[in-house]
Amino acid sequence: MHKLLQRLEKNRSYLLSLVLSIAVALLIGAVLMMITGYNPLKGYSAMITGAFGSSRVFGNTLTKALTLCLTGLATAVGAKAGMFNVGGEGQLYLGAVAATMTGVWLNGAPVFVALPLAFLSAILAGAVYAWIPAVLKVKLHVSEVITTIMLNSAAIYFCKWLSNGPLHTADKGVLSGTDAVPDAFQFSQLIPRSNLSTALLYSAVIAFFCWYIMEKTSVGLEMKVTGENPRFAFFSGLKKDKIMIWSMIASGAICGLVGMFEVYGYQHRFMDTISNEFYYDGMLVAMIMNYSPIGIIIMSVFFAVIDIGASAMELSVGISGELSDIIFAVIIFLMAAEGGISRWINDKKLQKNAKVRISEGSNRAAKGQEVKTNG
Amino acid sequence: MQEAIVRFDHVSMQFPGVLANDDVSLEIQKGEIFALVGENGAGKSTLMNLLYGIHTPTSGEMYVKGQRIEKYEPSAAIASGIGMVHQHFMLVPSFTVAQNIVMSREPRKAGIFYDLRQAEREVEKLTDEYGLHVDPKAVVGEISVGLQQRVEILKTLYRGADILILDEPTAVLTPQETEELFQVIRRIVAERNMTVIIITHKLYEVMAIADRVGVMRQGRLIGVEKKTNVNERILASMMVGREVLFDQLERKGERGSVLIDVKEAYVADNRGLMAVNGMSFQVHGGEILGIAAIEGNGQSELIEAITGMRPLEKGEIHVQGQSIGGMTPGQVRSLGLAHIPEDRIATGISVQSTITENLIIGKHRQSQFSKKGIHLRQSTIARYGKELFDKFDLRGAGTDTKAGSLSGGNMQKVVVAREFSFDTPILVISQPTRGVDIGAIEFIHHQIMEKRNQGCGILLVSADLDEVLRLSDRVITIYEGRITKEFQAGAIDKMEISYYMTGNREKEGRGDA
Amino acid sequence: MDNFFDVFNMGLLQNTLRSATPVILAAMGGLMTEHAGIMNIGMEGMILMGAFVAVAFSFTLSSAAMGVLMAVLIGILVGLFFALLVVKLKSDEFIIGMALNTFAAGLTVYLLRSIFGVKGTFSDKGIVSLPTVHLEFLDKIPFLGPLLNDNSIFVYITWILVFAAWVFLYRTPYGFWMRAAGEHPESLKTAGISPIKMKFLASVLCGIFCGFAGAHLSLGYLTMFSEGMSNDRGFIAFACVIFGMANPPKVFLAALLFGFLQALGLRLQSVGVPADLTSIIPYVATILMLVYIVVSGERKRKNRVKREIEG
Repeated sequence: MHKLLQRLEKNRSYLLSLVLSIAVALLIGAVLMMITGYNPLKGYSAMITGAFGSSRVFGNTLTKALTLCLTGLATAVGAKAGMFNVGGEGQLYLGAVAATMTGVWLNGAPVFVALPLAFLSAILAGAVYAWIPAVLKVKLHVSEVITTIMLNSAAIYFCKWLSNGPLHTADKGVLSGTDAVPDAFQFSQLIPRSNLSTALLYSAVIAFFCWYIMEKTSVGLEMKVTGENPRFAFFSGLKKDKIMIWSMIASGAICGLVGMFEVYGYQHRFMDTISNEFYYDGMLVAMIMNYSPIGIIIMSVFFAVIDIGASAMELSVGISGELSDIIFAVIIFLMAAEGGISRWINDKKLQKNAKVRISEGSNRAAKGQEVKTNG
Repeated sequence: MQEAIVRFDHVSMQFPGVLANDDVSLEIQKGEIFALVGENGAGKSTLMNLLYGIHTPTSGEMYVKGQRIEKYEPSAAIASGIGMVHQHFMLVPSFTVAQNIVMSREPRKAGIFYDLRQAEREVEKLTDEYGLHVDPKAVVGEISVGLQQRVEILKTLYRGADILILDEPTAVLTPQETEELFQVIRRIVAERNMTVIIITHKLYEVMAIADRVGVMRQGRLIGVEKKTNVNERILASMMVGREVLFDQLERKGERGSVLIDVKEAYVADNRGLMAVNGMSFQVHGGEILGIAAIEGNGQSELIEAITGMRPLEKGEIHVQGQSIGGMTPGQVRSLGLAHIPEDRIATGISVQSTITENLIIGKHRQSQFSKKGIHLRQSTIARYGKELFDKFDLRGAGTDTKAGSLSGGNMQKVVVAREFSFDTPILVISQPTRGVDIGAIEFIHHQIMEKRNQGCGILLVSADLDEVLRLSDRVITIYEGRITKEFQAGAIDKMEISYYMTGNREKEGRGDA
Repeated sequence: MDNFFDVFNMGLLQNTLRSATPVILAAMGGLMTEHAGIMNIGMEGMILMGAFVAVAFSFTLSSAAMGVLMAVLIGILVGLFFALLVVKLKSDEFIIGMALNTFAAGLTVYLLRSIFGVKGTFSDKGIVSLPTVHLEFLDKIPFLGPLLNDNSIFVYITWILVFAAWVFLYRTPYGFWMRAAGEHPESLKTAGISPIKMKFLASVLCGIFCGFAGAHLSLGYLTMFSEGMSNDRGFIAFACVIFGMANPPKVFLAALLFGFLQALGLRLQSVGVPADLTSIIPYVATILMLVYIVVSGERKRKNRVKREIEG
């Protein structure tokens, strides 16, 4: 408890601006509701009920939080080592397809054989797809941001083609998507009729692992140093390139698993609508929380509440659920601007302090020093 | 006496953590060539950047042609007739010579369109007028450095400058290009009555071109002299001599076997130009080999090549008898070498990591600090960090604050503490006390000497000549990537050494360049 | 095999032109910020907002011109906002770009539902679309004539704008300053011109071009607004900018090429080649282009070192 307080104290100004940003964003949301003729109190209370009102919606909120948390952690694992993985969406798609088809093709095999293979295929698909931009970045210095953006779209179109073409289900009742994963392999529901499945347990293990590696091990320390000052890492004898590539691979592997969880958890077949930019949402969560694992876990729950709550609000009060996107974006704008504003204030302060120090210092210097000027 | 064309009146400039200019007062006369000399970091460039309006001074006043400078902006400086050629050229590589020269004053057609032809014609006229020939249509990124500098000078002339500031103009030039530049400077001063301020640390250049010279050290103007009243030796002592009397350091032990062996090494700089041109020397156990050189003469690239941070283009470097060609810094370190880098913030430290994390890096996989090299033993590490922290008398906040919050001197102590704690037989040390207070200097010097007396082989590079002389058993001077002379301890004359550092030996060999 | 060649007809080229136009417009904006040294991935959001505003005002004011004007106005505002955060406050350009896309997606849908009470797509007879242009003299030219004729007015404006963008960048001082601001800001600063102002200008120009792109999308290409109708065009435009190395004619050709591939992909579906696969090409091509640029630059440097040692 004492330690926790210490940590909070250390990050006080950051937490303060975070709380302020959230408050302002919610306020802007409220103003928007008022302008468009709705009662903000009604809206926000509908949001809360929508996220916590029943065990079913609570399950859905938790499921959403899991997705955000894992994608956020995937971003953090890369970013910690200085690798900006924007390609999680594509890795997620590929992981989902790979895991789905592994399940479909292994129909009839024992669960303890099929499920590990499905995990493996999802991990491999995500990891390999992250490895490409990682190598381009490390060996050729090609910006991983741009390549991963490009690879995202490429992967999504590829998976679209797969699910509508060669892997399209033969089932006449289904318009789009692949065959369903056999019932035996699907994750079991934890809360009836909700989306919450045993993916919760797997996710918890992954999240714990991410936190442990990043915060408690020598690997995490090496990642941190590499990401913060790659030249220092190189100088210190760390295998900087290897660390960067493996961080990206780990990031991709987690994204692949998120894709698998979407399918095995509740969608049960791969469709090209499997993810509605889930990775981007998680990435934004990670950025807001400065890639801190604990922070990401907490913030994911908050974002999930807003997200699921907003959809429910739309059904009950008629306010568009997209309000949640607006609130997210405003928080990010404010947090991103906060850095600039406080830097600006600090610079001003520094200048002022310097002036005071100089006028003191130069008075002293003037006495003890002769300056010759020939003319 | 006529009124000064430029006057500095008690000017000071404070950057975060550095007092770059400390109460400088100076007058420069119309039509003279004034040289400003000093070590790197002495504040010469900052002073001139203030004059050019790049920074606003924290206190003091400046006058140009009798007018007080009100607004510190380059555009205002240009308007008052000041032109500056920066050390790092202010040229857009993809633009042509003409386009760079006329930038911000482009000739126009119909008010908004850029008259490219006219720009070329005007530049051509300008080059003819001053005899500074360069093809207006050439792309700047593809011409030689000497020509790029010429473009910079033409740029200031095009803007109508009559006060020309040149920041380290010869640092990137060949001897022949330097001679050409000097002819140009003499000509424009004689024919156009221009005023030229030249920043340099090559003293023979001062003697070759300047009328008067000002010497700066640690932000202060130490003295201003007519060239005829001084010689290179006097200037060198003004420039490098920090006459702080230290105790004699005790030397013990015998010289041991060869630990570092450099044979005919060639190393390129970041631009792909050769910075080390065939150097050979050895460092033995139980000795300190000092390298005395003015900055930018290849010593940084040499150190980086020895420590595995920069590839060797040609030649051989052996550490403990093993060739290090193609090795990473990690592999070189494992041969028993530790390294204090010249730029602690860029290379020696992770500012966002804690002090303890910075102290432990490199040892963090040892079993005492992590179980099986993975699980960090946080409490052992914290205790170890605290121990080193106390041993090296680090002041500042606790061991779990970010290293970036430390002062420069304490940051340096973190680097020294970490690198010395590896207990390696070889130490490569670059600028160990730059920006460090006197007490800490004394401490670091004692630590280095203790390592030597234990039998370590130490290679030391420092811009502080006193430091090199105090610590070294042998000293080699380097100029333009070549060794100019070797000195033995005891037989070193400071004047003579600064003479070789500033490239005098090179004059003899210049005929075949 | 007959079917296969049927694919290559006039319609294909017309489709190319139509589908490329919004991408070209956005890419012209993107190359401005690219030249000014800002990586702008917020174009997706900028287009979307432009498209929504154009439809909203075309509908409420019964004027396509007003729709376009308001789209441009919103473009200017968004450009200013983007520059304020990225240039002035030095926020991460990538984060702001992403957030801008999220914000635009959310806001347009929210307003669509709150103001027009529709979900998904808003299409109404009251939305005035942009006029098509018929040029008499084009009728006389075989093949090219019908291809180039009877397009939405924005198709023609776009050609002019590509030329204007080129003139601006390579034939006016402002274009030179903007490129200097991106390539070597200190040299511009020491010449007495603020690189920050030039970056602001680039960002605002990008906003204007994306406003045009959005307006064309919702009033020229189609006459409606639907959720997320920018449909990755911002990212394709970004790819075009990189592929065409930010040179307007080259970017224009890149956009046409990508547009052609898209149109071809749709056509080829009839003979069994899936459009989803052809859609991948632009993205992969862009990555290959990036690798090529980097590798050839590195080779130049290595040759220089080699020459120096030998020479």
